[in-house]
Amino acid sequence: MNAPPEPQSRWSRHDGGASLLLVLAAVFVFAGMAAVNLSRPTRPSDWLGFLVWFACMLVGSLVLNRFLPRRDPLLFPLAMFLSGWGLVAIERLAPAFADRQALWLAISLIAMLIAAAFPEALRWLRAYRYLLLALALVLLLATIALGRNPSGFPLAPRLWLGIGAIFFQPSELMKIILVAFLASYLGEGIASRRGDGSGSSAFQAMSPRLLGPMLTMWLLCMVILVWQRDLGTAMLFFVVFALLLYLASGDMRILVGGAVLVLVAGIAAYRLFDVVQLRVDIWLNPWPEAADRAYQIVQSLMAFGAGGIFGAGPGLGSPTYIPVAHSDFVFAAVAEEWGLLGVVAILSCFGVLAWRGLTIALTHGGRPFYKLLAVGLTMMLVLQAIMIMAGVIKLLPLTGVTLPFISYGGSSLLICYTMTGILLRLSSGAR
Amino acid sequence: MSAELALLVLRLLAGLSLAGFLLLLFFIIWRSLKASERQLRLARAAEARLARERPARDGTKEYSEGIALQQLTTIGRSANNFIVVSDDFASDEHARIIFEQGQWWLEDRASQNGTRLNRENIQGKAILKDGDEIGIGQDRFIVQLPLDLARHEQ
Repeated sequence: MNAPPEPQSRWSRHDGGASLLLVLAAVFVFAGMAAVNLSRPTRPSDWLGFLVWFACMLVGSLVLNRFLPRRDPLLFPLAMFLSGWGLVAIERLAPAFADRQALWLAISLIAMLIAAAFPEALRWLRAYRYLLLALALVLLLATIALGRNPSGFPLAPRLWLGIGAIFFQPSELMKIILVAFLASYLGEGIASRRGDGSGSSAFQAMSPRLLGPMLTMWLLCMVILVWQRDLGTAMLFFVVFALLLYLASGDMRILVGGAVLVLVAGIAAYRLFDVVQLRVDIWLNPWPEAADRAYQIVQSLMAFGAGGIFGAGPGLGSPTYIPVAHSDFVFAAVAEEWGLLGVVAILSCFGVLAWRGLTIALTHGGRPFYKLLAVGLTMMLVLQAIMIMAGVIKLLPLTGVTLPFISYGGSSLLICYTMTGILLRLSSGAR
Repeated sequence: MSAELALLVLRLLAGLSLAGFLLLLFFIIWRSLKASERQLRLARAAEARLARERPARDGTKEYSEGIALQQLTTIGRSANNFIVVSDDFASDEHARIIFEQGQWWLEDRASQNGTRLNRENIQGKAILKDGDEIGIGQDRFIVQLPLDLARHEQ
């Protein structure tokens, strides 16, 4: 499915309604912000978040129109819409964090524009992959030794590196570096073994020479992550890794083997780690402990019930019963105040994101690095969203990952936007 | 009271813009899918070929260079057909292949001995896909639709 030339030239002329999407997103974020501020009489209204968001949207679309006129038209509006909604939700749930999140949004936008506008960025990801991987590993090791948690709870997982008042989560950075590493490594495997143009059935001989170093790298990452008890991220990495390996080899056994490995790891983790045991127990039946250990998930379910179809209205529900609702449980808070309509909207946005990302991958049929990179980044974003959304509705055991673009969290937002930037670059026919 | 009214207006505005965003999103998707469907249809119409199978002396099969299919390709023994078959078991106006609704169709024209698609006689019209074998009398033709997804999936 090569990019058809005719519709693209039409998009470049008047971008096929994507700017109207941004206008509607702006109206939505404005109305949401205003409603939240209005329903909170004791506190002076705070418009910093909206102003920063609006400036980001204008600068972003101007720069993208200038440098990437033939990009995918939907990715940027989707990212802006979701993160604008996130700002409204944070302003509602934890106003103290809203300014900080707005600052991170500005930083994230700059990162996205750098990733999208400079073609060298992609080449560097490929050329310096070992260096980048080593750097990411060093950062992760440093997190084990020096890691902190900004919330200051003694038992909370220490996943952050802090310099002064700025905290960063190295495992977020690892998402991009790992996908880029796997994509270039597996891509070369495909390219070197492809004799007759049938790319998918190449790579069949899973030689230890090819897979050995990669599995070693992988085990190292897993050990570090499990050591840190960041099991959601470990799970995410493993699933994306298995998917990329499957795409590169076309071998069904990888999916089956991967599923078995996840199951074995899950059972082992259930026996070894109290956290996992707790998560699985309250997933199976939260009600006996609804007042203490399962309080968060039960309150989340209550919030979904309270929301109904149209929701309580922005600022009018009581989602603050959910502990730390602005982070992992933001989806439940949105469900209470925006109802089923809001839930369906967020699900649709992530669905469209997945579809656009995979379409970008399809346009790079002959370039395995770009193809695998697009698939890997899309999967990172969307699977993470699925994991946490399914977690808060008790469809899957809860894994403590953020909801991309929406949850509070600077590192997460920064990495999501950088991934979007790389996808935008790939969508406009990277060389 | 006025604050409540303003809140209601803002809620409506937010809800409408949310619904509008979603509708526009799906409209853009629908339009881009339509555009690529049209592209695909044009390409399918342009790149379809029909190759004639020739039995070689050593028992293996050989294929002729494919003939590009027309919007209306007639096959039969009479000389005014697009593809002429000289075969005692074929009728003068035996069958035709037409392009309709984005698909290639094989249609039997009430021939004496019938038209076979993958070795079975067809009734009326049948959709063709890449690699299908058309049998007319003792002749066999292979349909080549290089853009068919079925072929890419292998």
